[in-house]
Amino acid sequence: MPGLFPHEDAVAVRNRYKPDVIKGDMDSVRTDVVDFYIKLGTKVVDASHDQDTTDLHKCVSFICDFTPDLEKSKLCILVAGALGGRFDHEVGNINVLCRFKDTRIILISDDCLIHLLPKAQNHEIHVLSSVVGPHCGLIPIGMPSRSTTTTGLQWDLSDTEMKFGGLVSTSNIAKGETVTVHSDSDLLWTISIKKSQDSSP
Amino acid sequence: MEVVHHSSAFLLPSVAPDHRPSLNYALIVLNQRLPRFTPLLWQHAQLRLCADGGANRVFDEMPGLFPHEDAVAVRNRYKPDVIKGDMDSVRTDVVDFYIKLGTKVVDASHDQDTTDLHKCVSFICDFTPDLEKSKLCILVAGALGGRFDHEVGNINVLCRFKDTRIILISDDCLIHLLPKAQNHEIHVLSSVVGPHCGLIPIGMPSRSTTTTGLQWDLSDTEMKFGGLVSTSNIAKGETVTVHSDSDLLWTISIKKSQDSSP
Repeated sequence: MPGLFPHEDAVAVRNRYKPDVIKGDMDSVRTDVVDFYIKLGTKVVDASHDQDTTDLHKCVSFICDFTPDLEKSKLCILVAGALGGRFDHEVGNINVLCRFKDTRIILISDDCLIHLLPKAQNHEIHVLSSVVGPHCGLIPIGMPSRSTTTTGLQWDLSDTEMKFGGLVSTSNIAKGETVTVHSDSDLLWTISIKKSQDSSP
Repeated sequence: MEVVHHSSAFLLPSVAPDHRPSLNYALIVLNQRLPRFTPLLWQHAQLRLCADGGANRVFDEMPGLFPHEDAVAVRNRYKPDVIKGDMDSVRTDVVDFYIKLGTKVVDASHDQDTTDLHKCVSFICDFTPDLEKSKLCILVAGALGGRFDHEVGNINVLCRFKDTRIILISDDCLIHLLPKAQNHEIHVLSSVVGPHCGLIPIGMPSRSTTTTGLQWDLSDTEMKFGGLVSTSNIAKGETVTVHSDSDLLWTISIKKSQDSSP
């Protein structure tokens, strides 16, 4: 985080960007880092007893448990650093989207974002072209999709079948401000993030 | 039932004669940062293609992998046989440089329905006599990372060419398809790969997968997105066996402390 604010004092930046919680099986986080944040008041939750779920899964569960039911529909979980690196980690993160289908979770990297479009719903994606696009894709994750219909894409789908080994909509282009999607199957939506971002708030 | 053997011998400095299967390698370089062991892959390959902007990567980044050598000498030595794709990424100066060296440039921009990787795989398959197809293994450098839809498009090429050995490779890991209903034997060369691995039901749920050699073996186990997907597994020994009713992706990590030069 200090490197993203090169003109500021590193300690000041670290104090400002204090996580509320550190959670996981704690086999990667350094002791000096944990100690630093504990002193600032961060809660540390060691979940190393649970070897059946990934760290992301544990964190999403934590957030869902922490959120009152009435507010769950307004909850949106942003996940930074979800892509790249080991492919099995990436797949594990995508599977968390599939396991928590009723929760808005967005996987984010420097290059793109991914989220689930649950089946049998009318989805309207607002493409903020100053920050995302135009490269996008729709991916039948988990099972073939018999029918998907879209509007707003360069290569729209019209009751079109998608499956691995056949058509998967990659390298598509979002043409306008709105993309609509309706499918009989859960799909992953992905769109590129524009490079020329101002990174500071 | 016959056993299908898989090995990452292409990451070894030289292919030892006892490491089966004996394969003819082709290399496709995509438009991502070159994995640090690309020169090694290049040396194993008998045919080297750049998919469009992959030629920029070879031109720009190969000298950096040989910092003590003259850049021009490196570029002359690592000359692709073919540059193919829709040619919207490769720089003109790069194309001209390689044309002068004898590289064949195949402009396939008329075909907007397939990715550059798909075009290159088709080219290699057309180029390979039928009798030799069973020994063909296509290595793809720079297949992962960057835009997720590109990554998925590359994985879909594995699914479209199920009968061809294609291995997607990045700095961190490799991925290839294990077609359904076959007995797969994966030889884990622990000096270069592992131990982190995974099995992924790509495209459809898998009713039954059975493995040996993993920390968390599967035993007639169901896998699907939204349920169990075998990630963060560990390859325990030298051999992992897999048999599934469904096509699976196999992925294993590549060790960091590689000597990148052949």
